[in-house]
Amino acid sequence: MSHIHLPDGILPTWLWVSGFVVAIMVWVIFFRLIKREDLGKRLPLLGMMAAAMVLGASVEVIPPVYHINLIVISAILLGPSLIFLATFVVNVILALFGHGGITVIGLNTLILSIEGIAGYYLFRLFWKVLRKLSLATFLATFLALVVSTFAMILVVSLGTSHYEELMHHEKGTIGLESGKEKETHHEQPGGETEVNLNRWIKTIALPLFFGWILEGIITALMIKYIHRLRPDLLRLETQKA
Amino acid sequence: MIQLSYLDYLAVEGKSWLHRLSPVVKMFGVVLVLFGVVTVRSIPGLLALYAVLLSLFLVSRIPLRVFPLTLYPLLFAFFFIFISGFQFYFIGLVFLKVLSSTTSVVLLLATTPYPAIFAVLGKVLPSLFVTALFLTYRSVFILLNIFEETQHAIYLRGGFQWRHPWRSVVNISNAFGHLLIKGIDASEEMYESMMLRGFKNKIHYRGE
Repeated sequence: MSHIHLPDGILPTWLWVSGFVVAIMVWVIFFRLIKREDLGKRLPLLGMMAAAMVLGASVEVIPPVYHINLIVISAILLGPSLIFLATFVVNVILALFGHGGITVIGLNTLILSIEGIAGYYLFRLFWKVLRKLSLATFLATFLALVVSTFAMILVVSLGTSHYEELMHHEKGTIGLESGKEKETHHEQPGGETEVNLNRWIKTIALPLFFGWILEGIITALMIKYIHRLRPDLLRLETQKA
Repeated sequence: MIQLSYLDYLAVEGKSWLHRLSPVVKMFGVVLVLFGVVTVRSIPGLLALYAVLLSLFLVSRIPLRVFPLTLYPLLFAFFFIFISGFQFYFIGLVFLKVLSSTTSVVLLLATTPYPAIFAVLGKVLPSLFVTALFLTYRSVFILLNIFEETQHAIYLRGGFQWRHPWRSVVNISNAFGHLLIKGIDASEEMYESMMLRGFKNKIHYRGE
């Protein structure tokens, strides 16, 4: 669970618009890399893995902070190019159920695909070096989750000035026009007036850490199970685990 | 997510004026609501927007058991309030934004069958993306069926027990592994039947 569960209207417009622009650009690049025939064959698999990710997101492992997202296992099965399209689709469907805003779909796609792509390459690397399937999967999943969580924290922190603006925006009505309204900073009766990212990070850090370990273990056991029944799906260089 | 099939049933069987309204108009309405959510920064403004959406919810005769779906994202918004230092105004603003955007989307899903939504999206988004979206949506229903069977299997193997955490994790992992294998098998069958029907990386919708 390293994607942003922020609702619409919280992140600054420049940030989520940039998220969409970069996501579309990356998608165009990946689209050119995928062979047409291969794409047609793998579309149903993509749909199924995306559906599994959607279902995984509804299973809260540490409610309500952590749910498994199955991105790394999907990336291992789909490959790095298709996982980007899969995460895009997953984020659209999750946003339709309020699991992250619609405007943050672009940013969430980038964060989750970082996790998927990192997980895919780390898995291949660890498999090459260690030749132990479960350990390679656990390490790849754990590290990919760490990387994407840092990406998520970075994105949230980029909007700090905007959150402060929202907190002090007592009299303002429309966000597009903010020049004069920015000056009306009042001490709010309900609490502090400064954005406190450290407190937010401390609140989520411990459950996230447990979540990473748990998801690493679950992914490793799932890969072991798949390897036992359908080793062809993993496309490993040698089928010896 | 389990409510997905129920939402789909409501969208197809519903007879209110909102059900009969063109999907294009409804989707344009959702875009307008999102524009309001992004730009409006006053609690009275967002309250007014939310009130309009609530009245649409009542008028469209959507069963009240669907309403909790609109509240679910508040769980995530709750964590975001730690950033603000529990400032009431900010919390109110965040919660109203969440409620407004989710209510609009649930209204759309509960009053519009998903092929109609994808048909509209197909006019503005790349066909490959919409096909992937459609296949994913379809696969969710397939997986939900397999998931129900798998739940029985997990239960028979001891399910989740706090007293035996490792065994529980192994059970859950094997269940998800089983779900994936079954899902992949189903996707391969789906691909073969789609090829037989002339699938060429694009799904065509009948204008309903």
